[in-house]
Amino acid sequence: MKIKLKEMGNSLFFSLIGIAAILILWTLGVKFTSVGLLLPTPLEVLQRMAYTFSNAIGRELTLPMHLAVSLRRVVIGFSLASVCGVVLGIAMGRFRMVEAVCKPLFELVRPIPSVAWIPLAIVWFGIGETAKTFIIFMAGFVNIVVNTYAGAKQVDENMLGVAYMLGANEIQAFFHVVIPSCVPYIFAGMQVGLSTCWMAVLAAEMVSSTEGIGWTITAGQENGDMTQIFVGIIAIAVVGLLLAVLMRWAERVLCRWRVRGK
Amino acid sequence: MSETRKTVIECKHVSKTFYSMAGDNLVVSDLNFNVYENEFVVLFGPGQCGKSTILNLISGLESPTGGEIVVSGEKVSGPSPKRGMVYQTTNLFMWYTVMQNVEFGPKMQGVPKKIRRERAQKYIDLVGLNGFENQFPVKLSGGMQQRVGIARAYANEPELICMDEPFGHLDAQTRYLMEEEVERISNTARRTVVFVTNNAEEAIYLADRIILLHNCPTSVHKEYTVDLPRPRDYTSPEFLALREQITADMDNTL
Ligand SMILES: Nc1ncnc2c1ncn2[C@@H]1O[C@H](COP(=O)(O)OP(=O)(O)O)[C@@H](O)[C@H]1O
Ligand SMILES: [Mg+2]
Repeated sequence: MKIKLKEMGNSLFFSLIGIAAILILWTLGVKFTSVGLLLPTPLEVLQRMAYTFSNAIGRELTLPMHLAVSLRRVVIGFSLASVCGVVLGIAMGRFRMVEAVCKPLFELVRPIPSVAWIPLAIVWFGIGETAKTFIIFMAGFVNIVVNTYAGAKQVDENMLGVAYMLGANEIQAFFHVVIPSCVPYIFAGMQVGLSTCWMAVLAAEMVSSTEGIGWTITAGQENGDMTQIFVGIIAIAVVGLLLAVLMRWAERVLCRWRVRGK
Repeated sequence: MSETRKTVIECKHVSKTFYSMAGDNLVVSDLNFNVYENEFVVLFGPGQCGKSTILNLISGLESPTGGEIVVSGEKVSGPSPKRGMVYQTTNLFMWYTVMQNVEFGPKMQGVPKKIRRERAQKYIDLVGLNGFENQFPVKLSGGMQQRVGIARAYANEPELICMDEPFGHLDAQTRYLMEEEVERISNTARRTVVFVTNNAEEAIYLADRIILLHNCPTSVHKEYTVDLPRPRDYTSPEFLALREQITADMDNTL
């Protein structure tokens, strides 16, 4: 336990050194070289970030409000993608017919990056919320389907037999055997799905939007406001990281049964 | 004694062929035996002789291609919670705790929570896992996982429990321990048990009656009634003599 703490302390220490080194190099570069024409200093970015916490970027929304707009879009698109993805993935894994029809389709759709849907989404749905929801949905959906499908395929048929022997009917066996043994796979899909959804909302907002964290970056570009661009990028990184941590925490709670250690 | 006791299993001219592209495989041929209420019967035979197949037929996971199996007066036609099974590999629901595994059967059949918890607790205590109710199976040793499997089968209170080489994967030490446990459990919670093994010692230690099987295609080769006093002593002369006889008879089945 002691050793573990020490190791953790060490790795934290080294990653802090890494971050500090970059910040120092960045500051020095900006202060003493021509890089200064292109970049704000980290301190300026931080000050602007603090400032935009209570002051609007653009017409009326502050930084947290822009983030909230983007997060709301992600939550809607990602939830839809999760529900549809899990249902379809399990149906593909459990019913030959569905598998035969859908599997080739997904092999085709899988390599398409979510930004490729942007033009189509705009043509189909215009530039409103529906188009954005669609783009985000597509970004998460494919990952979740593919992973859930893999999970549904690996369900141990013997365990279904065990459930029947103990008196379970088909529906009970489905909910007590099929679903739980898919959960780790569903989670793997949702983890990747959430981060691709988060990337997709930014892409969608950069193309057509009047608010949201993606928009703040495009707006910064249009005004030649380097600091605002950096504020946007860092906010994206931090929120993306928080989302990943949230998912990992949820997985730890829901997949506790897989953890061997103490 | 068989006249006064209720017959639980009747195997009547049972045969089983597995059909496949590669050819038909006759695994069980004209198998006949009875098992009586509260009897501990060991099916004893060499590996790959069809022991698991017989248990699958009794439990209803497979259906015979000839003859019929009657359990408590009803012809077997599919899996039923009246017939419990303890498997060679543990086959626990890894995503459920010990308690959730043990109460699974009663829960599926709609037994109210309070009653099924009490019942599950009784069998968890019986197999010596008191204190482990809320652990997940990954954290238990192989022997402890098998105990959960046994408790799960008993908690369903079936009229018949089949055990398919439940200790085959355990090390010798744990195996002896588990044999003692099963002896104790079946003394406390009397049930009709059909226990499959290819270990002569285990068979003699546990059985009221041993049915020695022919090698493939399987049928009954010989029966032994074991009435050594319990708990049995592996090193007593009677035990060793019986063991020698069974081993010799088994060589004739090959
Ligand atoms: N589902 C099946 N399909 C085809 N052959 C099978 C099947 N189950 C068992 N067998 C065959 O039946 C024989 C006996 O198997 P099994 O009952 O598992 O033996 P044991 O449990 O005594 O080791 C083996 O030769 C095996 O190949
Ligand atoms: Mg076997």
